[in-house]
Amino acid sequence: MAVAVEYYLLLSAAVFCTGVFGVLTRENALMFLISVELMLNAANINLVAFSHFYGNITGQVFSLFVMGLAAAEVAVGLGIVLVLYRNFDDVDVRNATTMRW
Amino acid sequence: MVGATELTPAIPLLPFAAFLVALLVGHFAPRLLPKGGAIPGIIATAGSLLLSLWTFLAVSGGGYHAQDIYTWVAGQSTFSLHFGVLVDPLSAMMLVIVSLVAVLVHVFSLGYMNDEGETGLPRYYAGLGLFTFSMLAFVVADNLLMAFMFFELVGLCSYLLIGFHFREAGPPSAAKKAFLVTRFGDYFFLIGVVGVLATFGTARFVAVGDGVQSFPHLAEQALAAAGGDGAMPEHVASFLDVVGMEPQTWFAVLGLLVLGGVVGKSAQFPLHTWLPDAMEGPTPVSALIHAATMVAAGVYLVARMYGFYALLPTVLAVIALVGGFTALFAATMGVVKDELKQVLAYSTISQYGYMMLGLGAGGYVAATFHLMTHAFFKALLFLGAGSVIIAMHHNEDMWDMGGLKEKMPVTYYTFLSGSLALAGIVPFAGFWSKDEVLYYAVNYGLGESPILLAAYAMGLLAVFFTGFYTFRMVFLTFHGEPRSDTARDPHGVRWNVKLPLVVLGVLAATAGLVNMTPVAKVTGLHIEFLHQWLVIPEGSEFAALGYDHYHHLLEAFAGYGAAGVGTLAPAAVSLALAFGGAGLAWVLYNVDSPTEHTEKLGGVKTVLYNNYYQDEYQVWLAEGVTLPLARAADTFDQGIVDGVVNGVSSVSLFAGSRLKRIQDGLVTHYAALLTLSLVVLLVAFGLLGGWF
Repeated sequence: MAVAVEYYLLLSAAVFCTGVFGVLTRENALMFLISVELMLNAANINLVAFSHFYGNITGQVFSLFVMGLAAAEVAVGLGIVLVLYRNFDDVDVRNATTMRW
Repeated sequence: MVGATELTPAIPLLPFAAFLVALLVGHFAPRLLPKGGAIPGIIATAGSLLLSLWTFLAVSGGGYHAQDIYTWVAGQSTFSLHFGVLVDPLSAMMLVIVSLVAVLVHVFSLGYMNDEGETGLPRYYAGLGLFTFSMLAFVVADNLLMAFMFFELVGLCSYLLIGFHFREAGPPSAAKKAFLVTRFGDYFFLIGVVGVLATFGTARFVAVGDGVQSFPHLAEQALAAAGGDGAMPEHVASFLDVVGMEPQTWFAVLGLLVLGGVVGKSAQFPLHTWLPDAMEGPTPVSALIHAATMVAAGVYLVARMYGFYALLPTVLAVIALVGGFTALFAATMGVVKDELKQVLAYSTISQYGYMMLGLGAGGYVAATFHLMTHAFFKALLFLGAGSVIIAMHHNEDMWDMGGLKEKMPVTYYTFLSGSLALAGIVPFAGFWSKDEVLYYAVNYGLGESPILLAAYAMGLLAVFFTGFYTFRMVFLTFHGEPRSDTARDPHGVRWNVKLPLVVLGVLAATAGLVNMTPVAKVTGLHIEFLHQWLVIPEGSEFAALGYDHYHHLLEAFAGYGAAGVGTLAPAAVSLALAFGGAGLAWVLYNVDSPTEHTEKLGGVKTVLYNNYYQDEYQVWLAEGVTLPLARAADTFDQGIVDGVVNGVSSVSLFAGSRLKRIQDGLVTHYAALLTLSLVVLLVAFGLLGGWF
């Protein structure tokens, strides 16, 4: 018994919105990274769901790529967070406002 | 075998080489330059003179010549712009005159500049070389644009030479005035050149070769077509549609525009004011400017394109009236001047007035003749004045002279020869040529063109004044008792001053013999050599530049008809007037210690001394009219034009300064903006795309 594809989409939308909410409201840079991961994985859910729906394996392969990308992004992101900490003694994004008008 | 025609470009280029030598050697190795550049200049101009004489001989054998030298803008399906040479009787004659006067002026400069210990001689001789080059190139120009370019170069050289003594107060200001006033006329000339090129698609003076056209000929065809004879040239017809004028009117406009340059350069009223001030330049330069180069350029240009002017009766009348008026106007001012060169300056203006009168009155030969004789006797008079100025230690006031006759006989007798020519006393050169000018005016005036009679009357009256001021000058300078210590013991002059004077003195006495029209008419002999010289036989490619053709145009298009006046009566009248003027001067000034008689003129004297307030009114025009106008234009430019531009930029500056505040460096806000924008976009697309 297969779950209808609409439920996967709803789940995906919910996870994505959670990610967006996290990015918009959090002050901790690490939370930013986690939120971005949520958004990426919401996309992954979509890919897998449609792949399954159309009986085509490409979407699932693509989700593997996205995971690889996410790992790379986290590596870069954590690097940035470390630099942020070194410069501002904190990982609060509100402190790092040097690049402004 | 290289013929004279192939070497024509070398005639102007030799003085140019002298210019380069004087300039470069004078700058980098002044010790190597003999006589401060005079020797290269003399060699180069003498070479030009020899080549000119050779060309002259070739032309008298029918060796007319037109050739494109260099095309500097090659037109694709439109006209091209080029440099070329044109050698016909007129330009061959002028080449000889210019190069002869240039040689003599160079030789004279040895006495006037070198012997007097002037500094900056390489600069002086470079200027003379460039001046001679530009005038010679102007003379051989085969199209109007090239003529314009060298016309301008002549103006530049006059600026450089008039302002030669630039450390004094007067010369730089006179040089600027000469440059600006002539430039004012040249501005119209430039528009005229552009107009001619646009209308006719060519600026050539003569059409030689296949598929080549000349603008006077096209104008002739267009006017004939307008009169119902033949077809209008296509290019002219299409341009006349653009302008929306009758060919007669539009050509008259073009003719008057070009005439603007002529009036400026030939110092005709109202642009004559620069010329008396130009006396600030060294005297040999004055001789060169007034006799053969700058001032002659204007009249020569009218003669050069006479095939165009002969078609336009209105313009001819304007030329004749301007000329006649200038002749009289300048002559009256010459009467009261105290300085030798000032008298000569006003006589120059007056004599060029005669030439313009001759051209306007249909006397092409007469005007050319006067151009030639005037070149000789005016160069002579200026060089004679230069000799007197050397003798007087650079004091030019005639009231300090007197009695120089015994002290400097060579100068006196040559100067007298020039004065007799200037006053128009038979048989000196000026008599024959001036008389012929006046004869044409009265002959055509009594015939079909009564307006010429007004010009004739002014010209005739000017003869009296000319006789008077000329001999007033001679008597004050050379006769009577010496009136100052320098005049009692004048500085001697050397061969390099006397030689040019003698050569020109002989020419001033005899040059008139080449065209003795009254004698020819009376005796029936064919001795009008200049007349025959300027006729080009029918059937030659150059026939359109010949006097016969011009005569035909004058009758067919300008409606000139001769009344058939005899030549003797007008000659007798003008001779009587000249003798009257000279006689009055004799009575008043040929006494041991002459007194100033100008007081008797009363209020007129003040007006004459102030040159009819010409300078004042021109200054008023500049300061009272042009300056406020320019200020208003400046206000418009600074206020309205710049205001709009600045307003637009300040709006964006202000908007930018406010908008940039949303970049506050807070990542959260950027993310919020991104998200919101995406939402807004989605909603907008949804509404527009009808998703909902």
